[in-house]
Amino acid sequence: MLQLLLFNVTNGLIIGAFYVLMALGLSLILNLSGVINFAHGGFLVLGGYLAYTLTPFLGFWGALIVAPLLTAAIGVVIEQTLIRRLYGRDPLYSLLLTFGLAYIFEDVTRYIWGAQGLPVTIPAFLGRPVSPTLFFITYYRLFMVAVAAAVVLFLFLLLRHSRVGVRIRAGTLDLETVSTLGVNVGRLRTFNFALGIFLAGLSGVLAGGQLGLDSTMGAGLLMPSFIAIIIGGVGSLPGTLVGGLLIGVASGVTAVFFPSASEAVMYVLMALVLLARPRGLMGEEGLMT
Amino acid sequence: MTEALTVQGLHTYYDKSHILHGVDLAVAEGTITALLGRNGAGKTTTLRSVVGLTPPRAGRVAVFGQETTRWPPFRVAARGVGYVPEGRRIFPNLTVEENLKVPRGRRGAWDIARIYELFPRLGERRGNRGRQLSGGEQEMLAIARALLLNPRLLILDEPSQGLAPLVVREVFRIVTRMRAEGMSVLLVEQNVRMGLAIADHAFVLDNGAVVYSGPARELAADQARVEALAGATAEGWSGDATRAPRLSG
Repeated sequence: MLQLLLFNVTNGLIIGAFYVLMALGLSLILNLSGVINFAHGGFLVLGGYLAYTLTPFLGFWGALIVAPLLTAAIGVVIEQTLIRRLYGRDPLYSLLLTFGLAYIFEDVTRYIWGAQGLPVTIPAFLGRPVSPTLFFITYYRLFMVAVAAAVVLFLFLLLRHSRVGVRIRAGTLDLETVSTLGVNVGRLRTFNFALGIFLAGLSGVLAGGQLGLDSTMGAGLLMPSFIAIIIGGVGSLPGTLVGGLLIGVASGVTAVFFPSASEAVMYVLMALVLLARPRGLMGEEGLMT
Repeated sequence: MTEALTVQGLHTYYDKSHILHGVDLAVAEGTITALLGRNGAGKTTTLRSVVGLTPPRAGRVAVFGQETTRWPPFRVAARGVGYVPEGRRIFPNLTVEENLKVPRGRRGAWDIARIYELFPRLGERRGNRGRQLSGGEQEMLAIARALLLNPRLLILDEPSQGLAPLVVREVFRIVTRMRAEGMSVLLVEQNVRMGLAIADHAFVLDNGAVVYSGPARELAADQARVEALAGATAEGWSGDATRAPRLSG
């Protein structure tokens, strides 16, 4: 029983780490550009498939770095040609656009890589369990959590200490004033978009190594990521971090006692948080806002 | 003589409402020029058109002889225009130090160390968030932020708004000091008497057009007009009192 609980808590943490990576990217883009990026899951899938294609040439480690960068580059092209045109309009426009893009992504990946699931090959030593008693914890799972933690730490340091990070945080509240201070906000938005898409691509590669690839996997991660943002409080990146981990663990724990409710629990959690704090856990005064 | 700023025939709209009806004004290099007028006369809109936030539909803006009409704000800033907006608009979520990291300016005499020399109070509060500052400190921070662009033209929109008289004097002392350093200043001010006291030249705007242009001292001496302005009415500017805007260039 304890082992089952531990198994599901670990599982929840790992899933939570994916929610966090996804949700942080979504949050970045939403905060600075006011775009609710429904295509975010599509970028995740793209990152995973690119890694699948690149692994024979670059190996797992090369693909782990290059695939997210390529995904971000494709993100920049889409931002420059399509999404940028809708900045400053009613968010409904960009929502419709990215919603459509999500479908296009799904079909394009299916067209290129086929409808059947594909594996991302990971180095053999990462596939081993850490110990016989904790057979369900492989080194790969630890590795995923470590990478996610390192990336989140890097992102927060970037936003806190670099000039571009400070400008992104300033732009979140008052982009107009940022522009009068000599900052090319168009470029700032593009960089920020690329940053968010990089996180999605990276999640795709990591998830592919654990679960294999499937052209619909992004859609399943998208809704929980939005919930993570709402629970944490829109506008607060630390809130998004807490929200993602919270719903991951909550659904992991619920899976032990009441498996059929493990999906529903995040909605219940969201409802409870919103009842107690309508602005989310850290929506008012997080570390970032 | 070079003009720091030349504005000709500016027509600016917010959506369909026509705000500026052909504004002409100029800021001579190295001077403080006051832009006065009652609420809703179009002062802020004029500034927004100049810095690129609300591009004019017609007319021309030139900064030190370089046409900048409809340039995006960041290019206008890079050209050497520092803008201190109405209500200060400091970033409340960022610390003082972080607020000062946002500007992306030309290289020059102003850096963060020198800012802390001019505004010791900001140095003391460098770790405090913008929202924790007093109104006066926020105004200092907004000016400091603009100075980090190493501007040649400094544009201030109602810097005295909501500040205690002592703080207002401090702000005006800094503005005159910038002129002494060779900067040109365009100042929008509700506090007509204090604005005129430091200005070299004055423009008065009403209903989106310039209704007076002349030396600040001359306007300050005209009690009736000053009172009309300070009383936020436009009556002093109708009829014979109206003068054609004096334009150079």
